[in-house]
Amino acid sequence: MVRRPHLKAGFRRVFLAELRQIGARPGLMFMLAPFPLLLFALLAVVFQLGLPRDLPIVVVDQDRSTLSRQMVRVVDATPEVMVAYKAGTLADGRLLLLSGKAYAVVLIPSRTERDVLAGRRPEVVLFYNNQYMTPGSLVARSVGGALGTVAAGISIEARVARGADVESATQAVTPIPVRQSALFNPSLEYVQFLLAAVMPTVLQIFIGASAALSFSRDRQGIAGLGRSLRLGGTLLRTASGKFAPYTFAYLLVLWGADALLFGPMGARFGGSLAFHIAYGLVFVLASQMLGAAAALLARDTVSALAAVGVITGPAFGFTGITFPRLSMNGFSDVWANLLPVTHYLELRTDNILRGAPLDISLPAFGWLVVLALAYGAATLLLLWRHGRPRPAAVPEPAR
Amino acid sequence: MIAAFFREIVAALNAIWADKGARSTMLGATLFFSVFFPQPYLSEVVRDMPVAVIDQDGSTLSREVIRRIDAADAVAVARYAADMPSARALFLKREVHGIVVVPPKFEQDLLAGRAAPLATFSDGGYFLLNSVMSSALSNAARSLGAEVQVGRLTASGVDMTQAMAIVEPLRVTAVPLFNPTGGYASFVLPAVFVLILQQTLLMGIGNLKAGRRPAGPLSTLADTVVYVGLYALWAGVVLVLLPWVYRLPRIGDIAVMYAVVVPFLFAVTAMGFAVARLIPTREGVIFFLVVLGMPLFFLSGVSWPTEAMPELLHVLSLAIPSTTAVPALVRVNQMGADIQSVETTILVQIGLCLAYSALALLVDWVKAKPAA
Repeated sequence: MVRRPHLKAGFRRVFLAELRQIGARPGLMFMLAPFPLLLFALLAVVFQLGLPRDLPIVVVDQDRSTLSRQMVRVVDATPEVMVAYKAGTLADGRLLLLSGKAYAVVLIPSRTERDVLAGRRPEVVLFYNNQYMTPGSLVARSVGGALGTVAAGISIEARVARGADVESATQAVTPIPVRQSALFNPSLEYVQFLLAAVMPTVLQIFIGASAALSFSRDRQGIAGLGRSLRLGGTLLRTASGKFAPYTFAYLLVLWGADALLFGPMGARFGGSLAFHIAYGLVFVLASQMLGAAAALLARDTVSALAAVGVITGPAFGFTGITFPRLSMNGFSDVWANLLPVTHYLELRTDNILRGAPLDISLPAFGWLVVLALAYGAATLLLLWRHGRPRPAAVPEPAR
Repeated sequence: MIAAFFREIVAALNAIWADKGARSTMLGATLFFSVFFPQPYLSEVVRDMPVAVIDQDGSTLSREVIRRIDAADAVAVARYAADMPSARALFLKREVHGIVVVPPKFEQDLLAGRAAPLATFSDGGYFLLNSVMSSALSNAARSLGAEVQVGRLTASGVDMTQAMAIVEPLRVTAVPLFNPTGGYASFVLPAVFVLILQQTLLMGIGNLKAGRRPAGPLSTLADTVVYVGLYALWAGVVLVLLPWVYRLPRIGDIAVMYAVVVPFLFAVTAMGFAVARLIPTREGVIFFLVVLGMPLFFLSGVSWPTEAMPELLHVLSLAIPSTTAVPALVRVNQMGADIQSVETTILVQIGLCLAYSALALLVDWVKAKPAA
């Protein structure tokens, strides 16, 4: 390679210097793209089923009648649930719950069939583990539904025996059927729900942390931030030259993960691609500025990383994807608004899942832009403060 | 010998105090995270989620079913919309999170014994809001439907008991155990607290040991005793005291809890030593641990059942102490499990402690060889 004279100070020079820095650190290179993609693959494998199937439950059948056996069969036939254990007593069933081997116990008391025939309305009890809320409520819903079907069958038979025709007897069993349809994500796939939300949240940590590392390292270096500023010439060129390599890398990861999600994994993309690209870019920039500002505030690299960890690590709870924002306390609501990922996920939901018109998404997009500008301004201000020549070395010119 | 060991203990304590990174992760971060992390979940359940109603019938019974929907704690009828497009617009603006349509002739059909369906639209993008909607709706529809049916039968001369037996020949009662109100904080926090213990302990060890030359056996033993001792205290704070402060259900036996916590902390400490030897810089260790927090939570099976994961992934994830310790401690603390129910986990933790110690020694040996 021909040795060229030094590049003129500016964006390109900082950009290339940053690339060299990254190239010299294999650990950092691994953090830039392979590691987040590996985590995405891991999470995709975790949620690969989309909906849990064959969750184990216990049946305590103390009746051992035709009816009770029918109930067990119907319950076992639901796709979400599998009758994995038959216990003699409720105490045995409880032990299976406590050891985490089953999510629910169905108790069919003795004389259930006899009492049904005598019109004494016996009770079948489903105990489900609500501490494990996702599988617990799923099991409760499917077992409850299955047992409801059995009860409905009996009810239909009773009506037919009283002279009703099958058609009207069937209608009478559920006088007010609820036809529930989920607007958007109608199949209630967890891939759409969790994976698409968890990945950007994890990525926000990566983006913030790598920006923090980059700025902190320059600051701790012997030459300090002054050197980076000389390479860049101006504050803006320095900052953008330092950000750019990471912006490219993480945009590739973000869109690469989306390409997998909407390509081979078959998630539906129902919105505007141009808008998706726009808010993705602003999200990455805002997260970078957040990390850089934290790095320039913190005293050393480890504290800078810790600060980014504190801000971005618990972010998922604040985004409102699992527990909704409408039920959060005031502090959480304010904090959530300060995190780029909150608005990014809202925009994603609006655009991809709901196909909402752009004007609906303007407030969230505005938030994202304001956050990027605010954190960016803080970064530039701190860069200027820490990067200017020390007063002792260069006396301030008299005005 | 004993005096030397005590000197090492004091040295280990001083090292934590003297290193700013270790001090802030092992002393500050544990407490900070356990106060900060719960904030979004503290109201536990969704209350008065706004829904829009389109009442196309305008009858006594349609108003009655709407009243019953509104009476549910979790939802509140916030808006009446004239038609679906205007209700949908409210939905997109997030002013309502569900839509109920009462069709025309609702009352007429219901009284005539024909099926009188309700159409509801819920939000598939937010699972909790979706399930809130579905339970509020089905409760209202079932209770009103049963009353109307019983009324029809008694009007036709059937006595009350018999009418009830026809409408509901078999009662199905669902009893939620351990987290009876279905509180979200009660569900997430007990698991997250265990994970916070693991991650901050690993970060602290990373701060103290990454990139340093391995110390002698006596010093390493003293370090281990200090870390496990310190975190046994933290376990008391985050697993016993904080649940009490946040009013989370906790019914477990503290002795059983420590029977899991102590081997868990030994396993985490051994893993910390191994990670600190494998990742040579403090920054690297912290970066690695910060990004891994959330994936590790999902691997523990508390929020997403392990049965739904591929077997191979589950087996591989057993290498992380939290994978088995999180559910075991939740079972002990929140469900009151006894020691037999968690003995597998205790054995796994002891196995991990031995395996990570061996790994750390192996790395030392490999690194020492070229020098020799």
